Amino acid sequence: MGQFFENNGFLLVTLVQQALLALSLYFPMMAGQLSLASPGFYAIGGYIAAIVGTHDYFAPWRDALGAWIFPLEWLLAALVSALLALAVGIPALRLRGIYLALATIAFVEILRVLSLNLEITGGAIGIFGIPQLFEARFAYMLIFAPLLAATLLFGHRLERSRIGRAFRAIREDELAADAMGVQTTRYKVLAFAIGAVLAGVVGAMSAPFLNTWNARQGTFDASIAYLAYVLIGGSRSVWGPVFGGMLLSALPELLRPLKDSRLIINGLVLVLVSVYLPQGISGACSRLLGFSSKRPSGSGELKEGA
Amino acid sequence: MSSVQLFQNLLNGISIGSVYAIFALGYTLVFSILGIINFAHGAIFTLGAYLTYTLAVGQFGINGLLAGVALPWQLPFALSLLIGAVLSGLVGLLVERLAFRPLRNRGGDPLLALVSSLGVALVLVLVNAIQYLVGAEIYTFPSGVYGDLPPAIVLRISGQPVVIRTVQAIIFLVCLLILAAVGYLVRFTRFGKALRAVAENPATASLLGISVDRFILGTFFLSGFLGGVAGALVGTSFGVAGPYFGVTYGLKGLAVIVLGGLGSIPGAVLGGVVIGLSEAFVPADYGAYKEAVAFAFLFVVLLLRPQGILGRKQLQKV
Amino acid sequence: MSGALEVHGVSRNFGGLMALCDVTFTVKEGEIFGLIGPNGAGKTTLFNVITGLIPPTSGQVRLRGRALTGMQPHRIAAHGVARTFQNVRLFKGLSALENVKVAQHCRTRCGLVSGILGTRSNRAQERRVEGKAREILELIGLGDRADDEAAQLPYGDQRRLEIGRALALEPSVLLLDEPAAGMNASEKRKLTQFIREIAARFKLTVLLIEHHVPLVMDLCDRIAVLNFGELIDVGPPAEVRTNPTVIEAYLGCE
Repeated sequence: MGQFFENNGFLLVTLVQQALLALSLYFPMMAGQLSLASPGFYAIGGYIAAIVGTHDYFAPWRDALGAWIFPLEWLLAALVSALLALAVGIPALRLRGIYLALATIAFVEILRVLSLNLEITGGAIGIFGIPQLFEARFAYMLIFAPLLAATLLFGHRLERSRIGRAFRAIREDELAADAMGVQTTRYKVLAFAIGAVLAGVVGAMSAPFLNTWNARQGTFDASIAYLAYVLIGGSRSVWGPVFGGMLLSALPELLRPLKDSRLIINGLVLVLVSVYLPQGISGACSRLLGFSSKRPSGSGELKEGA
Repeated sequence: MSSVQLFQNLLNGISIGSVYAIFALGYTLVFSILGIINFAHGAIFTLGAYLTYTLAVGQFGINGLLAGVALPWQLPFALSLLIGAVLSGLVGLLVERLAFRPLRNRGGDPLLALVSSLGVALVLVLVNAIQYLVGAEIYTFPSGVYGDLPPAIVLRISGQPVVIRTVQAIIFLVCLLILAAVGYLVRFTRFGKALRAVAENPATASLLGISVDRFILGTFFLSGFLGGVAGALVGTSFGVAGPYFGVTYGLKGLAVIVLGGLGSIPGAVLGGVVIGLSEAFVPADYGAYKEAVAFAFLFVVLLLRPQGILGRKQLQKV
Repeated sequence: MSGALEVHGVSRNFGGLMALCDVTFTVKEGEIFGLIGPNGAGKTTLFNVITGLIPPTSGQVRLRGRALTGMQPHRIAAHGVARTFQNVRLFKGLSALENVKVAQHCRTRCGLVSGILGTRSNRAQERRVEGKAREILELIGLGDRADDEAAQLPYGDQRRLEIGRALALEPSVLLLDEPAAGMNASEKRKLTQFIREIAARFKLTVLLIEHHVPLVMDLCDRIAVLNFGELIDVGPPAEVRTNPTVIEAYLGCE
């Protein structure tokens, strides 16, 4: 058993990590916003951890704090992501949905080009030799798994709260929500910031995990992957992205025999699901099994009307 | 900057800018009638490049299923371009038929996330199919592909040489031709009038007796055609740099249409030229940041004037 | 009686089309005020201006002296102006109960942190919100359908739910946009009665757009008539119905 975890530690932790990144997309989506910015915040979080972990300027901090430097990195990543999310979100979220998607695409690309060219981010080579928190890959489960659990709990509570209701109202009909007293811009920005902070923290945790960090960590391709996770897993509940994230990252491994065509299959699956299963697999399952908390009203009622 | 450099930059800028314009037109056509962004456009761009290469050069590299295959034909460039573009247009039709129409028929809120992701998924599929077939290496068009034309024309301005690559001249001419054709199409043909009608108000279009489905197919064909042309032109100009090279252009195309104004045809042209010129004028020292120019534009425009230069402010119906 | 809602010189231009042209009238406190006119006369546009969804090209709207023009819709709602929409705009994917709960958003305060932590004040708030929402659902006759998805409700129930949702906002001014659309005669009678009841019970000032002229004549204390964006008459029903300009504008309507 121990051998299994040792051999597959990297994959297992990656599954959890991808689930978390899918969730970083889910929170803006709760408020009806399609944000493709997660890879950007993920990259920033990772760079923060990488720089604090390797740069000379922070050497005294590292010496003073020892292993506590890592939680500090996560905290810094969270703060920077939150601030950046406000800076980007407040202007961008005044716009209609598609404009936000485009603005986030631009955001990710600009960050990517910057990280390829700035010295502090190591240019095209990136930063390598990032200090490790743990020896074994699987040991990283000790930080990723609790983060996932905490995020799921957060999401679960959020859905049932007043703020969660506001998010969902905005998602259903932003105009009507506004007319009913919900401060739409404020909550859209909040949803966006929650997603950003999550992605940033995951990034900060992932930098030591992956040992090197470069501009390839924050590309448009990644946004597509996260979007696929949420769409396939289902965007209506917190579990959907988790399921989708884990399934789609495990799939290439399981389909190894079909090595070269596995990416084609991934793409095809995404197309088919988008067209035929808009609520994603978990949505389809909950309909099938009748888990939906809302029942359709009695069919005996005739439609009133002239 | 000397006047020679200025001229050279202008040349380069307009050259690449006109390609951006053609490519962006593909986006604009679909957006103006359906209100959605077809994220698969970047894949069709890539496809156009590969198709034209296949027809004009027909020689594959060492990777992929078709490794080492040398095709028995080598068509003249103009013909390859045309056929490649038509095939791209057909792929555009296919994309509409298989992917977008079922979603449209479902009606209601355009399910933005689904539609965009759909397009993106198609990018993945098409792109990976390409990789599977012909590998990921760079394919360049040999210099003799244009027949007997010289590789470049060298002008002299105040004694200094200004190089106009033949391919740039060709790009410019092709683009002019296409823009003229599209302009004519939009202003004077029934199709063009229908396009403008549907762009104004999709609901009334069916009342006017326009077969909306067929009309949408026609638009997707045209959009794919334009994408294919743009891809082929970039391919000859810079080489076909792997199956993902359309992704960046796909994204830049978005910057172009936002700058010019979503849904505006002249806007697409204007946006393309502006971004092309801006990229050309980035000082050599900051060459690496050239790639960020388009996205910086995108970001700034969205913040300051989301409807772009020529777009109209959208009023939401309550 | 003082003016609850003042519309003063409101005009709205849509790229050359004058949807509203210098409309001025005052709705008195506690009145049930009708707004009628042929299709396209600008009635819904006026509602949109009052509730802040679109800005007027010129003119002002005042609520008991406070200018509403220029405020965001959610702030206007918080000041006590609630509305329903011509084409029902419920939160389709939410249950009836949740629809009503959302409208209480600006009357409650617990934020993200207390929501996540589940503090005592948060739990108390949620109980209150739930209780109030159920009360309103009972009032509009949807008590046993609280958990039904709004999109699945029959049309008439949806319209009533929209009114219930607006009531949950604890408004002092209620704007109803064609609440009787699609209803048969007996339903219209019940609706008329209902509006009178809630106006009295919740001390509401009601502004009502309606096409069914008899209903308007029956229910409203005063009526304003719009035609092509212009106000052509304001007054008690008996007066307005005999005004020749009004009759002319309405040729062909019920």
